[in-house]
Amino acid sequence: MKKRKFFSAVMACSMVLALTGCGGNSTTPTTTQAPTTTASQETTTTAATTEASTTTQAQPSGGEAVTLKWAIWDQDATPYWIALKDAYEEKNDNVTIELIDLGSSDYMTVLATQLSGDTSTFDVVTVKDVPGYATLVQKNTIEPLDDYISKANIDLSLYGGATDQIMVDGKLYQLPFRNDFWVLFYNKDLFDKAGVEYPTNDMTFEQYDALARQVSSSDFGSSVYGAHYHTWRSAVQLFGVLDGEHSILSGTYDFFKPYYEMILNQEADGICRSFTNLKTEGLHYSAAFSGGDVAMMNMGSWFISTMISNLQSGDYDSSLCGNWAIAKYPHAEGVEAGSTLGTITGIAVSTGASNKDAAWDFVEFVSGTEGAKVMAETGNFPAIMTSEAMDIISSLDGFPQDEQSKAALEVSNLYLEVPYAENVSEINSILDSYHSSIMSGEMTIDEGIAAMNDAIGKIINK
Amino acid sequence: MSEGKKKEETVQNEALIKGREQKERRRTLVALSFIAPNFIGFAVFTLIPVVFAFVLAFTRWDGSNPIQFAGISNFTKLFSDKFFLAALKNTIIYCIGTVPLTLIASLALAILLNQQICGRGIFRTVAFFPYVASLVAVTAVWKMLFSQSGPVNAILYYVFHVENKDLPQWFVGNLVMVSYILFSVWKFMGYYMVIYLAGLQGISKELYEAASLDGANTWQKFTSITWPQLKPTTFFVSVMLTINCFKVFDVATLLAGGDNNTLTISSTVLVHYIYQKGFIEWDLGYASAVAMVLFLLVLAVTLIQFKGEKNYANS
Repeated sequence: MKKRKFFSAVMACSMVLALTGCGGNSTTPTTTQAPTTTASQETTTTAATTEASTTTQAQPSGGEAVTLKWAIWDQDATPYWIALKDAYEEKNDNVTIELIDLGSSDYMTVLATQLSGDTSTFDVVTVKDVPGYATLVQKNTIEPLDDYISKANIDLSLYGGATDQIMVDGKLYQLPFRNDFWVLFYNKDLFDKAGVEYPTNDMTFEQYDALARQVSSSDFGSSVYGAHYHTWRSAVQLFGVLDGEHSILSGTYDFFKPYYEMILNQEADGICRSFTNLKTEGLHYSAAFSGGDVAMMNMGSWFISTMISNLQSGDYDSSLCGNWAIAKYPHAEGVEAGSTLGTITGIAVSTGASNKDAAWDFVEFVSGTEGAKVMAETGNFPAIMTSEAMDIISSLDGFPQDEQSKAALEVSNLYLEVPYAENVSEINSILDSYHSSIMSGEMTIDEGIAAMNDAIGKIINK
Repeated sequence: MSEGKKKEETVQNEALIKGREQKERRRTLVALSFIAPNFIGFAVFTLIPVVFAFVLAFTRWDGSNPIQFAGISNFTKLFSDKFFLAALKNTIIYCIGTVPLTLIASLALAILLNQQICGRGIFRTVAFFPYVASLVAVTAVWKMLFSQSGPVNAILYYVFHVENKDLPQWFVGNLVMVSYILFSVWKFMGYYMVIYLAGLQGISKELYEAASLDGANTWQKFTSITWPQLKPTTFFVSVMLTINCFKVFDVATLLAGGDNNTLTISSTVLVHYIYQKGFIEWDLGYASAVAMVLFLLVLAVTLIQFKGEKNYANS
């Protein structure tokens, strides 16, 4: 009898423990760890203990074995995570960088949710976009880096002004390590076939519009779209911020109007694909450009490495898009050529990091000149754009060989797609939504802009 | 002597009562240990979060910083929020469209597939198939079918000679709700059909035989036997459908969200707006306030339905 009683009590207790224990454990990253990490962790531990006395490098934690958990996305499709990890581990053999892949589609949402539960989930986090950065800062999940920066004597001017646009009340919470900027991709074959001159590195929007119209053709079976705009609002609206006077934080958005007009007119005349079709069919910009019927496409410089690697692997048909090149972004009358949009990817230290100095050392490496070199070697644009990095990229096998494409990499003014502001994620959602409304014809351009002015005006003047 | 006997008896009684009490307690413990796993799970993952959401609706909180009490400001803000009002309107339109249509379609299918027809099993499977198929996959197919130059518009163009410029854009403007409704009816009618089939098989054959003897035609049999006998099933189906319709999120996101999951004024729905406010903009207080409105809406509709059910039971 007593035995049975005891047994049932034990059963009840174990059930309770199993359930509550399960709830508590769900935030620890054990389930997301790659199966190989434990093995590699062990080997580094032994390596570190045997070599600790022999290494004389300036170690962040005195040669003690350190594991840093680093939040990233799409490990298999992105070559630089492993390259940065390897380069750093080679230099600091007591440190193991553990990559934790959160996937790319809703990376910032997943990251913010995990850090809300427990900031020690990660030591180092990659920050994908500025609205996500704003969220992480406001949630106190990433460390201000100013003390570290001044201690390490880092020259922020190397970042070409990008760090000024992500200051939060005079403090910096991330350092950029990757800096993409928008350029004009074009398909030389289509221009040759139409007998039209290639785009140049100094084009006004009028010239660009005329060129798109010249090169496009509606011949059955060989129709050519003069231009292509992806469904992101950046691809259309942000032509307006290149003058340096306007920004998406302005609160009034009438400066978008000429660009909406230009692109909706192009759409009506069949110069570019319709926004609604792109959205419902979910056509990816890479598929559109590599399909060989798009003459010009404005897109970020990240697409350069995609083009190179996919043409080399044979995933893109080189007879359709193999003869490609890039040119500088078109600009408004009176604006300097080479003014373009930028998108930074940053790296930050989590407030819950177990060893903040070690985490900072890694952040400094990735965002500094050494990291920049690693980034360039994988065909990506580092935030510190040295002439060395530029040469590495433009001499990559598969990079367009004409002089103009090389020159197109020189940026005169870089405006972030989304600069920092307190309510930037709310502003971003509103602009996204009304952009869709205008482009799909649910609202006229004037109605859409008036709605943006109204909704965002309320937020800014709050 | 008698006193000693009495004492003995009370001692015996006490022992008996004690034993019974012990037994009782043990039985309760065993019972509780059976309920515990489910209840603890329910409490930790549902009950406590729901109660917490009620509290959150009156606060400002981003999930990390200290919670600030905000009074009813979240609720007053709702009435001047264009996106919330649009989401509310769209969700209600979606429910009004989807609930009756799915009900009729699933009942009709069930009656049809309850007949002795050749290949009944195959047809039942076919009707149930959309419900089993992955939502993501079937929305991709629907988007292709209803795209600007897709098969549906091609039929309108070639068979019905609709002008090219008048061809509908199925996922834009007012039509987007029609697309949601059509899709949902098609996707979910199979499930409710199965419930109706079970209900139909529970109706006694004698009722129909008696009606046939009295010379009732098919329609009369339906209105006087099938429909009244199916009332409890219909009640269950309508409650489940209404609740599920108010919760719509995936259908909207997948059909109209595009690759950055952006819904416009004419395509947004309440749960998507809750998600956007809560987990993209991290305004959990406001998101909870919107969730409260959704809760009250579902509660009100369900209460009305329960009342209707009671009235029916009394009659």
